[in-house]
Amino acid sequence: MKPQQTLRRTGDFLAERFPVDKLNFASMVGKKEVPVHRLSWGYYLGGLALFFFMVQVVTGLMLLFYYQPTVSDAHASVEYITEHVPAGALVRNIHAWASSLMIASVLGHLLSAFAMKAFARPRELTWVSGALLLGITFAFGFTGYLLPWHQIAVNATKIGLQTIEEIGAYLPGQMSLWPAAIKEIIQGEATVGQATLSRFFALHVIILPLGIVAVLGAHLLSVQLHGMSQGVDDKPRRMEKFFPAFLLKDLSVWGVAFMILFVLGLCLPFESLFAYPLFEPYNPKGSTPDGIKPEWYFFWIYYPLELLPFWVILAGQGLLGVVLLGTPWIFRNTNRRTLQVLAVAAGLYLLVMTVFGETIYHLFKG
Amino acid sequence: MRAFFIPFRWTRLALACALALGAASPLQAYPEFQQSVVKTSRRAVNCALCHSHPDGPEGAAPGQIGRLTAAEQAELVRARAAFEPNAKPNSPILNAFGNHIVQSLGKRRFLELRLAPEQLAAALPKDSDLDGDGIADAEEYRAGTHPLLRSDGAPWLLFRANLQRNLPQILVVLAATLLGFYGLRHLLRGFAATAPNEEEEDLAAP
Amino acid sequence: MVDAFLFVGLPYIAIVTALIVGIRRVRGNPFSMSSRSSQFLEDRKLAWGSAPWHLGILVVLAGHVVAGVFPKIWSSLLAAPGALFVVEALGVAGSLLALAGLAALIYRRLTSARVQAVTVPADLIVSALLLGQILVGLMSAIHFRYGSAWSAGTVVPYFWGLVTLSPDLSYVADFPMLFKLHLVGAWLIVLLLPFTRLMHLLAVPLPYLWRAPQLVLWNNVRRRQQARAAVVQAESRREFLKGAAGAAGATGLLALGVSEKTLSFFRGPRPDLESESALLQKKLERLQQTAEERQLELERQRNDMILVGRYADLVETKGRYFIDYAMGPGLAFKGRDGLPIVLSAKCTHLGCTVGSELDARGRVLCPCHISYFDVQTGRPNDGAPAKLPLPQIGWALVDAGGKVVASRKPGQPLPGLLDPASLSQCSLYITKPGRDLGPS
Repeated sequence: MKPQQTLRRTGDFLAERFPVDKLNFASMVGKKEVPVHRLSWGYYLGGLALFFFMVQVVTGLMLLFYYQPTVSDAHASVEYITEHVPAGALVRNIHAWASSLMIASVLGHLLSAFAMKAFARPRELTWVSGALLLGITFAFGFTGYLLPWHQIAVNATKIGLQTIEEIGAYLPGQMSLWPAAIKEIIQGEATVGQATLSRFFALHVIILPLGIVAVLGAHLLSVQLHGMSQGVDDKPRRMEKFFPAFLLKDLSVWGVAFMILFVLGLCLPFESLFAYPLFEPYNPKGSTPDGIKPEWYFFWIYYPLELLPFWVILAGQGLLGVVLLGTPWIFRNTNRRTLQVLAVAAGLYLLVMTVFGETIYHLFKG
Repeated sequence: MRAFFIPFRWTRLALACALALGAASPLQAYPEFQQSVVKTSRRAVNCALCHSHPDGPEGAAPGQIGRLTAAEQAELVRARAAFEPNAKPNSPILNAFGNHIVQSLGKRRFLELRLAPEQLAAALPKDSDLDGDGIADAEEYRAGTHPLLRSDGAPWLLFRANLQRNLPQILVVLAATLLGFYGLRHLLRGFAATAPNEEEEDLAAP
Repeated sequence: MVDAFLFVGLPYIAIVTALIVGIRRVRGNPFSMSSRSSQFLEDRKLAWGSAPWHLGILVVLAGHVVAGVFPKIWSSLLAAPGALFVVEALGVAGSLLALAGLAALIYRRLTSARVQAVTVPADLIVSALLLGQILVGLMSAIHFRYGSAWSAGTVVPYFWGLVTLSPDLSYVADFPMLFKLHLVGAWLIVLLLPFTRLMHLLAVPLPYLWRAPQLVLWNNVRRRQQARAAVVQAESRREFLKGAAGAAGATGLLALGVSEKTLSFFRGPRPDLESESALLQKKLERLQQTAEERQLELERQRNDMILVGRYADLVETKGRYFIDYAMGPGLAFKGRDGLPIVLSAKCTHLGCTVGSELDARGRVLCPCHISYFDVQTGRPNDGAPAKLPLPQIGWALVDAGGKVVASRKPGQPLPGLLDPASLSQCSLYITKPGRDLGPS
């Protein structure tokens, strides 16, 4: 293929994905319509994730006023926020709950978009940016987990980082040293310490937010440019206006989500779901306490990791990454019924591993 | 000079480390109670339930016997001799809950309970709630949650207690949310109502 | 005597008259219970007068009614910090607004010929009375400040004395003249209520806010379009009105609790001296711990040998933790042959710290992923997640005189049998990797 031709094709491809002629208010808001069918609830999950993200930004900025990212002060400052700052416990608790709810709604959004084949042409890039957002969201969870610097946080982070190094054993030749080097770069020193805390803080507070805002902007823009995907195989019988009918419903969902979040944040400390010694400050001289495990949203990978050989997980991970990024092209010709079955299966797997993961683990390990 | 300094530090540290794993020597601490709580609640409870330091009283870390000032030593001696209830002990190696136990039971009754550690919860006063989280200390002790941590407790009990306490606030916020959405809804409708009007005029023009 | 007439006689006369005449008027002539609108005759100036007047007087009146009828609720409202100031400011602002509006209304009534045609003397009397009443009220509010607070102990008991038919003049006797005037004015207004258009006060036209607009059907295309446009406009205005009301209500409710909370979040806690020093002490302890860890690191960089503990303190079944040269955890046991066993305690799987208690088969457990390590060899059990053995660490036994009695490097043979009795005075050190420390 001639370079000119390649250039033109690339131009055509991008022009179809980002139709500049639709870049106006009338097309993006005024005339936009949303199909009404039995899967319509899926259209609200992305907005819900956006809402929780906004809550995270606000509460995160508030916490930033008091948090101190040093090994000696991190835990003390978190304690100070929860016990002394007026409404500090509420803000921190909402931050914790909203992070979990955000990840839950992102996962739900992913599965429902998959089931509705929302990645079909011309929405491939929307899907890919969504997959990136998923990765960034998990990275938020992983980095944020370390910041309170308590036993469970530091030990779980150690294990998580060590897993990266493990990959080296499966790489050939010189490449086998790369994962260890990557881990060192993330960790910043020989063990998880002040350098790691500083780096995770920078990632959690500056780098990841900048990244997510950029990708999220592209994602939202392309959603509004292309409108909602049809979602079902038959042409939907009814459409509703995006503005104001759909927007109103979307905002009402936000209102309900806000109330749930507020009541949870006020009444149920996120920490009460864990055992308290794990929330003591990290003690580098003691043994790793029992009951170390990552946050619930890593269970789907954590428990298989415990049960199966590492290379199986590694291969599965790699495959998952490829499938996730390549979905628009891999499933181009699959019909929606098959996609729905796949999505339900994946959802069931996530649910079972999250809820019963520990039971399954004990069943096999005794 | 250095040769002297290092051994000194190291005995201290090593002692602390040895104690870190629950092998607290039974000289002054009472691991029966910890073991009983761990058994009934199935939670990893450590010495910080009643002591100042999570590794118990022995050692040289802050809150342990090896690092007490003279005044604190005197308090410790006084607390150890508090055989009857209501002696207002203020032992530096105990936290507020530990002192609360000695205060309400007295050291004598407490030592008797070592033979039946599971009865300690029943012996504690029912109405005391040191962290004010809505769950009584005795209840928290039985459940293996921390009586001095406001954010620790059986989730459902905690939720119920907090819900009752914060109900007015929740209702106000609920009312505000409802009102706000009512307002937002009508504002959007107002905008939408003006929009088609322009369209009709456009159509009518030619 | 005059006081008794003005503050006991007049009120009762006013109330009784208002009741009797008012009821007669409602039953005999129900449609007269209105303000006899003159909007048809003139609407421009009316808008500028009527809106501010009603808005202002409603705010002021609401304050008076709540304070008088529900004094407890009123004073609990005022108890919030800053509330008194807000209430006073609202009251003054309301009465200024009402004053401006009333002035505009009076000006209109006096200058517009069409309005003059329907004006009766009672209208002028009422206007003048209201103007005077507001002026006097405003003056007393400014002159005797914080009336919203002090009225709870003065005017309110007087008012309730009247209501409960046990009038008490003692409250009123000491009132300043200005305030007495305001009270008398109030009773006069009550007295005049049933005789004038003020009667519309009892017919609150709230449904106007949400009732659907009336649609006039025209048999003419241009008129029809105009009418439809008017309906759309009215409809969107109603929506905007509701929207603004909702938003204002929500903001108001949030202002009650949330804004104050947000402010205090940023203001931070103001702990008392005791808890502040406790906090500081805690921080200091954490800093000391960090400093101790840094100290360990420095020691390991500078010294060739690091003390683990006295040999006599080692036991066979329970390891002693220490920090090795890589700043990782290590474990020291006494072996069955009497020599120390010193090995790393960092699990070779994912780096957790292994436990220190030996099980019956001489193994320690890593709790993270259940690997058992034999402490003699360091090897994990078959099928454990960990594949590599725990590395051995070089050690040296040093006697009381500082002489190295025995030492072993990882992977080297044991230094031969030693007399355990001679070791009891020794201390166990770990040696820096790569340094040669033969017996000297």
